[in-house]
Amino acid sequence: MQANARHQKHALATFVGLLPLIIFLALLLYVGLNAPNFLTFMNLKLVLAQSLPVVLAVIGLSAVVMAGGDDVVSGGIDLSIPATAVLCAGIVAVITTAGLSLVLAAGAALVACMLVGGINALLVTLLRMTPLLTTLAMFVAVVGINNVITSRRRLDLTSDAIASLRQDFAFGLPLGIIIVGILVLISYHLLHRTKWGLNLQAAGGSRDAAEISGIRVNTLVAQSYLLAAFMGFVTGFFILARGNGYSPGTEDNLMLEMVLANFLGAAFSPRRVVTMWGAVLGAVLVAAISIGLKTIGVNVFWTDLIKGALIVTVVALSAISERVR
Amino acid sequence: MKKFFVATSVVAALAGSTALADDHLSLEGKTIGVAVVGTQHFWDREAFNGATDKVEELGGTVVAVDGGRDNQVHADNHDILLNRGVDAVISILGDGSVEPKFEALSAADIPVFTVDHPSPHSVNNTTSDNYYMGTTIGRYMADAIGGKGKVAVFNAFENSLRICGTRTGLWKYVLQDYPEIEIIQPELAEEFANAPEDARRQTLDLLSQYPEGTIDAIHVSCWDQPAIGVVQALEETGRTDIVVTALDGGPETLEIMAEEDSPFVANVAQQPRLIGATAAENVARFFDGETLVPQTYVDVVPVNGQAEAMEAYEALGYGSLD
Repeated sequence: MQANARHQKHALATFVGLLPLIIFLALLLYVGLNAPNFLTFMNLKLVLAQSLPVVLAVIGLSAVVMAGGDDVVSGGIDLSIPATAVLCAGIVAVITTAGLSLVLAAGAALVACMLVGGINALLVTLLRMTPLLTTLAMFVAVVGINNVITSRRRLDLTSDAIASLRQDFAFGLPLGIIIVGILVLISYHLLHRTKWGLNLQAAGGSRDAAEISGIRVNTLVAQSYLLAAFMGFVTGFFILARGNGYSPGTEDNLMLEMVLANFLGAAFSPRRVVTMWGAVLGAVLVAAISIGLKTIGVNVFWTDLIKGALIVTVVALSAISERVR
Repeated sequence: MKKFFVATSVVAALAGSTALADDHLSLEGKTIGVAVVGTQHFWDREAFNGATDKVEELGGTVVAVDGGRDNQVHADNHDILLNRGVDAVISILGDGSVEPKFEALSAADIPVFTVDHPSPHSVNNTTSDNYYMGTTIGRYMADAIGGKGKVAVFNAFENSLRICGTRTGLWKYVLQDYPEIEIIQPELAEEFANAPEDARRQTLDLLSQYPEGTIDAIHVSCWDQPAIGVVQALEETGRTDIVVTALDGGPETLEIMAEEDSPFVANVAQQPRLIGATAAENVARFFDGETLVPQTYVDVVPVNGQAEAMEAYEALGYGSLD
């Protein structure tokens, strides 16, 4: 009897854990049935192409969450990634528009982005500040700095190398998708297959246990913020490629989609924890939903409301699933 | 006054004559994608409504996408129209990020018609007479400050949006003939999305930097949403001796101009609904086999002072301010 009850409880927990995915797939199915051309190869390519910046950002975010633990309030989170990404985009746009070399621009952007990551790491590990607030404050500050650098102006792209991320093809596939695919594989290996990656997950799973077994948690957490900043740097180039230049304000939507993708991705893992793989799939699903809702003509503000509500639902369901367990 | 009546009667005559001549126009059986950068602002919304209403009036089906005043989202929305396989696209505003999307649409044989966005990939661009807007507001502003003084300008888009380049460039061109007018450097850059509040904050900063008597006018060089915040800041600080000028002339700014002793003294009103509708008619003309000119200019209504603001408000169909 008791075993049966436990079994039922387990089944319930599994069901609740899978609910976000079920909701998403139901939404997609609804869109697919109602929108012409939604379930086509071309649209799949479109979904992938539009998801690239979010995919790159969630690689960084999932690493931070893995190292710091996935409690939304006290665990690891880095909301500054979208700001780091636009900082990179802004710096590269300003320097290349001034006629200087792309290499110099990329170098300057890399230094600036890693500085942001370094400050995040110091504040979170040394001063023990809450990552949620620290990185939110950092987001605001970095967007502010970027507004000073770019004077909040639109800057058109002058670099063909960056444009090739959008328009060139290799082996019949868009170059941008291939490059991001390779980065996903490398990150997957790094985060899920190396000793460093396993230590990172151990640190986030249980900080105390990890410390007792000799893992230097603070170092790992700090490294995760640096990795996140680096991914922000990479994201910047894809933002430039996608927008054919720098447009102010890109960070807001990226933030919303990044957070949604990351926590939605937890539903993909058997233990309902944030994984890089799950987060990347989450990013693709979020892009599919965004495109799908627009394809069936849902008002843009409703789209935002739906995305916000989905974040709440996903996080709430994961909390409920945890409790049931 | 006379000029105003001439302008409006010209507009009315034009509208009447096109209605007669274009009876045969039809978009029956066509699906037209309409992409707009946002619908929060009056201008954007009216241009959008003008286009979608006209498409439907001509028997076409509308697929609408709204960028929520985010240029990147707006640009990405064109991919959705491409994927839907629409027969033509009307694209309203947008910065350089839409160009690759236009290119992709053209490559897929979907003709692109733009509103306020000249592009090598668009069949036709429907826009206001931006040249006239720029020079007129330059003359009005110079007159309002007696041909001399210091002017601050909100000018975020001169280099990124061609229409703004035209309006701002010609405003500056006129000011060359007023050597005693000085443009305060650096120029100000307003936000695209939260313009009134952002401009209010920036104006307050500007006013604390420039004490009473050291600044004579604040001009918004491409539109007038920021001017709402500028006027608020002037009223908050009691510095309403500073003259405000801007462009677009939507109902909310004409209302501000119509107030007693308003610092907002000159504007040039556009007809966004007519612009959107004209773009839709141009799509129908294109399908009818007509050759279109690259740019269709829609008349504007210069508004100089309180009385003209009230007249324009009524003439443009926004109601009455008496």
